[in-house]
Amino acid sequence: MKLILSFLVSIVFFVSNADAQKIYATRNGKISFSSPADEDVKAVNNEVTSRIADNGQLTFSLLVKGFKFKLAEMQDHFNDQYAESNKFPRADFKGNIVNPSDVKFDKDGSYKATVKGDLTLHGVTKSITANGTIEIKGGKPVVSCQFTILLKDFAIDAARVTDKVNVDVSCQYQ
Amino acid sequence: MKRWLKILLILIGLGILAGGIMVYRIYNKPHPDVTKEKGVELSAQNLYDAFRTNEADANTKYLGKAIELTGEVAAVSKNQDGNTVVDFKTNDPLFVINCIFIKAPGLLKPGETHTFKGFCTGYIPDANVVINEGVLVK
Repeated sequence: MKLILSFLVSIVFFVSNADAQKIYATRNGKISFSSPADEDVKAVNNEVTSRIADNGQLTFSLLVKGFKFKLAEMQDHFNDQYAESNKFPRADFKGNIVNPSDVKFDKDGSYKATVKGDLTLHGVTKSITANGTIEIKGGKPVVSCQFTILLKDFAIDAARVTDKVNVDVSCQYQ
Repeated sequence: MKRWLKILLILIGLGILAGGIMVYRIYNKPHPDVTKEKGVELSAQNLYDAFRTNEADANTKYLGKAIELTGEVAAVSKNQDGNTVVDFKTNDPLFVINCIFIKAPGLLKPGETHTFKGFCTGYIPDANVVINEGVLVK
């Protein structure tokens, strides 16, 4: 009975078919960032929760303390002085694929997609647009995209280190 | 050599030495090691309840802290970098405690009860509490 219940719950979380809409999810997607000005400034977060629906809706949530730097000192500075991760522990993105009809979720292949939505970081919400790729492999999507954010747009004063970071998204969904 | 020049050279030398020590420390400071930390002992359910009922209070108590968590394994998987991820059950079937191991913990199976120690990175509503950089205690 327990096994059946767990199975049903997994289906509800990972592949929902409400209103014929299919939702794919992950709790362990990957988002990294790096500074074009300093090669030491780079970090990766492997604990990104994300959901993508075949109607084009897309959400990402990550915990700022989940970003891992090679240098412990830099990680401490990032959390304490720049991202203020105790005050703003989470970053969220909620948006849509602008061209959902170009992505065939039911057919394996690689599709170009443009995503537009609101990114909330450091307590500030800004609209962003990013171009990327959605690859359908074995019926499951893999989302890849890169974009650049200006730190001052999110009230992060890191001018001594860098004024912008390149963000790399790579999420494999179930 | 003039006395003032000697003093200037000594000061420059000390400055270079201090700078070198600072750079060495920045590049060699170790990341926190959870095995050397005394973790806050909690059940998976208690940790979930703490965040669900008062996220701000739970952040103050647990964010960045070592947590020694005991619970029933819901699922075992690998993340995109190949690290083992164990989800511990809560009474909400859609919500788990998501624990990432720094090294493979051996064979763990859903339904078993285990204790895991790692650093809490926070709470994502409707999804999970995350604990990372962790090790298996028992």
